Amino acid sequence: MNKIIGIIFLLMNFTDFDVKSDQFITRQGQVSFFSYTSVENIEAKNNQVLSIIDFSKNEIAVSMLMNAFVFKKSLMHEHFNESYIESDLYPKATFEGSILDFDPLATGTQTKIIKGELTIHGITKEIEIKTSIENNNGTYLLNGDFELIVKDFDIKIPPILAPNIAKIISVKFRFEYQPYEK
Amino acid sequence: MKNNTLFLLCFFILIGFSTSIHGQDLLETLEKEYPDTPQYEIATFKSTRISIGHSVENRKKGVLEIMAMNRFWNIPNYGGQSFVADKLSSRLALEYGISDRLTFGAGATTLEGVYDGFLKYKLIRQRKSKGGSPFSVTLFQNTSYRSERNEPFVDINLFDDFTDQLAFTSQVLIAHKFTPQFSLQVSPTFIHRGSSAFEEDPHNQFAIGIGGRYKLGGHVSIVSEYYYLANPLKSIDTYDAFSLGVNWELSDVMLQFQLTNTRSMVEDAFITQTPNNFNFKDGNFVFGFNAIFVLHLNQKKP
Repeated sequence: MNKIIGIIFLLMNFTDFDVKSDQFITRQGQVSFFSYTSVENIEAKNNQVLSIIDFSKNEIAVSMLMNAFVFKKSLMHEHFNESYIESDLYPKATFEGSILDFDPLATGTQTKIIKGELTIHGITKEIEIKTSIENNNGTYLLNGDFELIVKDFDIKIPPILAPNIAKIISVKFRFEYQPYEK
Repeated sequence: MKNNTLFLLCFFILIGFSTSIHGQDLLETLEKEYPDTPQYEIATFKSTRISIGHSVENRKKGVLEIMAMNRFWNIPNYGGQSFVADKLSSRLALEYGISDRLTFGAGATTLEGVYDGFLKYKLIRQRKSKGGSPFSVTLFQNTSYRSERNEPFVDINLFDDFTDQLAFTSQVLIAHKFTPQFSLQVSPTFIHRGSSAFEEDPHNQFAIGIGGRYKLGGHVSIVSEYYYLANPLKSIDTYDAFSLGVNWELSDVMLQFQLTNTRSMVEDAFITQTPNNFNFKDGNFVFGFNAIFVLHLNQKKP
């Protein structure tokens, strides 16, 4: 009986090890967003975005703290967190999805669609992102851009400030992945 | 037989385990990867004033606030034809963030020609996660100089010497953000006046302020503040300062409206020398309006 349990734990450890070797992570991913209007331009950048890819299933996850976005004006940072994104209630934005038809072994740059669920401000939306994926012998670089509609995420903008904030926000990202070791 | 069942059971548990490991959420893996940097509460209050008194908030480095604070009130049985209200007092001020924690400000008030300057230092920031301080603590020190006599009323201080006309206010502002909407502040206050015209008046006065805000939405909050004065002046009747107000922020502009009994906007004056109580009679009721414009002189490169 004890032997069986021993074997079970041994097996569990092995499976664990096996899975992890297919995973790649970044802890300094960059995500920036831009809102261009005739009244003012707002841009912000987050350099501490976490992302992990599991190439055994071509699955990807991204997680970031909303208050880690850096703005040109400190008051913008406060308003973004306090009045719009409500980071006290929804501290993180996350993405979970899969890379469609991706071959992790092929070197060079491939452009693929990443399809998944994006959660911002507690609201989840299905999105597809065209992403360029560069395989540099064991490290991967992903970058791309996409657009988000502010209204989709239930972010309240008072009518008097509506001209200051774009209806559509463009988002850029750049992630450099390293093999994930626990 | 019994052994076999156990083996099968273990086998299934094993299968269950390994699939659960395989299917372990990538997001859960990321959750563990977050560095353990402390997260601080931001915007316990939206402005550097709760309503009439200072809040624990400072503006960040390189931010200049241009402030116009106004108080309007009527004089009872006054026959004049003033616009809007019989009396107006304004304080114009510039307040600048020397660092993220230290603010310097200077202002001039039309009523009694008061000039004031202050330093404000954010000592402790409230931590979001467990551990760290549950409170934000800010130290505040101001000096005010009264240049005009308060005619036709009596003057509390002497006007013989420059130092006679000075007053100093020291405050320890302690605040806690309970929920994203609700914050409360307690402000122990010590006020020293350079001179007294009357023997019986104390030179040093102690007060404690309590103030709170409740956010109605992303941009509007209701605020209230009250200062209890432990040893009031003896020569004249004074009342505790009270205010009920609405704060409204619009991008770079902050508007604050108050229903109050205080006519001055400088701490020592409104905490210790408010000559009327809070009610809606002419002469007692004061309407306040602060307009604060925030200018970022030092913009970061994102």
